[in-house]
Amino acid sequence: MRDPRRPDLDRYPELKQAWDRRQFVKSAAVGTAFMALGGALVRIAADDLTRQARADKRSDGKSRLPPGQRALDALRPMGGEEGDGDVRTFKLRVHGLVKSPFEIDYAGLLKLPQAEKAADVHCVTGWSLIGGLWKGVQIATLAEKAEVKSEARFVIFEAAHGYTANVPLKEATADTAMVTYRLNGKPLSIEHGAPVRGLVPDLYFWKSAKWITGVRFVKDDEPGFWETRGYNNHADPWKEERYA
Amino acid sequence: MPEVAEAVADPAPPAKPATRPHGVAATIKKRWRAWLRAIHRDIGYLAVGFTVIYALSGIAMNHIDDWDPNFHASELTHKITPIPDELSDADAAKQIASAAGLTGKIDDVYRAGDEVRLTYANGSKVTAIGDTITVQMRRDRLFFRVADWLHATRGKQVWKFIADAYAVLLLYLAVSGIFMIKGRLGLRWRGAMLVTIGLAAPLGYIILSGGPGAQKTERVAARPGEVDSPKPAKPADGITPLPPDDEAPARRN
Repeated sequence: MRDPRRPDLDRYPELKQAWDRRQFVKSAAVGTAFMALGGALVRIAADDLTRQARADKRSDGKSRLPPGQRALDALRPMGGEEGDGDVRTFKLRVHGLVKSPFEIDYAGLLKLPQAEKAADVHCVTGWSLIGGLWKGVQIATLAEKAEVKSEARFVIFEAAHGYTANVPLKEATADTAMVTYRLNGKPLSIEHGAPVRGLVPDLYFWKSAKWITGVRFVKDDEPGFWETRGYNNHADPWKEERYA
Repeated sequence: MPEVAEAVADPAPPAKPATRPHGVAATIKKRWRAWLRAIHRDIGYLAVGFTVIYALSGIAMNHIDDWDPNFHASELTHKITPIPDELSDADAAKQIASAAGLTGKIDDVYRAGDEVRLTYANGSKVTAIGDTITVQMRRDRLFFRVADWLHATRGKQVWKFIADAYAVLLLYLAVSGIFMIKGRLGLRWRGAMLVTIGLAAPLGYIILSGGPGAQKTERVAARPGEVDSPKPAKPADGITPLPPDDEAPARRN
């Protein structure tokens, strides 16, 4: 028996093309919705880590997972214009409002007082790496060595190809803020900023400049690469300071 | 038959032939939709390559937190007896390569702190730290590596202008598409409905999400004196003193 909603295509063959098109559009819409729903279910089912991180509290009372984030157990490569990643050519310039600016190579960096800190990081695109163990040299150590002048208020991370990120001095010299070269006992890979990247875990991860080349202390704020492209100047994940 | 003769002699004035508009304005009025379609068609052909590149790389980069659109990257770890400091670079490299099962040509051996780093001719990086060897390799994704590079125009001056031109062509395609067909399949019904739906999607998202102003910015200013009493550090290897920035040439970021 013929579907009453379906036109009699034998009798009206001129309707066939329009009917076929309608069926195609319907099938495409149903297929797309099915795939989207399936993807969402897979993501929800596989997200115990996110639930756990949301339930955990930090020592400062904040939720371990900032709002709008899902937890991952590995960094995601987010692109960017890479540096050469070579430890042999690596140089870090510590300068600006300091009494004793200096430039240090990779071997020299490893000879400075080292710090190893457990810290979660939070990408503005919505993922967080939970439970990373980072090794490096604290920005506070570099600041002390360079003898930062009292009028300095901000730290500008300088990186390959002119990338910069600005961080208030207080947050850049916090206990977990550092230039880091090792995550969970392994060297950083090139897509994650090798050989050395910045790390300011309590701000969105774009502040933790990859392929770092310099740490500059300044008096006046200088919004960096993403901050001048519509992203928030401060970038606190717990306040969801994603965009300007 | 005088009336008839009179009627024949004095006929009604003939109707004037309908005057047809002519001139440039008339031609444009008559032909504009045909030209719009012809230009739309040709620009559509021109845009095929660009659109494939931008659309596919756009999807790829849109999901960058789920996969690496540029590279197939892999990382392997192996266990090794820690390399003693006194072992020569060549012997250390041999021991590490053997433990990791690698046979390629080693370009460079670098040692610093507790690390021994090998760079292979194929670009692979091998690092021994304590009792762990990490082998990091990657290779390009053939299409996406190039397409993503083009899509992210940072630092590519000429391509920036080409991409701008493509954007202008897309605007033409969008606007001309509205007027290409008249009647119920055009702006009178179907076209109007679909254009409205197309505009409603972004507008609806902005309204429902609150838009970019939804997350209020709280500017945080650093306070002076956060780093107090800096003490001179002991000199260390690998450190080169620099002149203060106000004496050095200006750096451009």
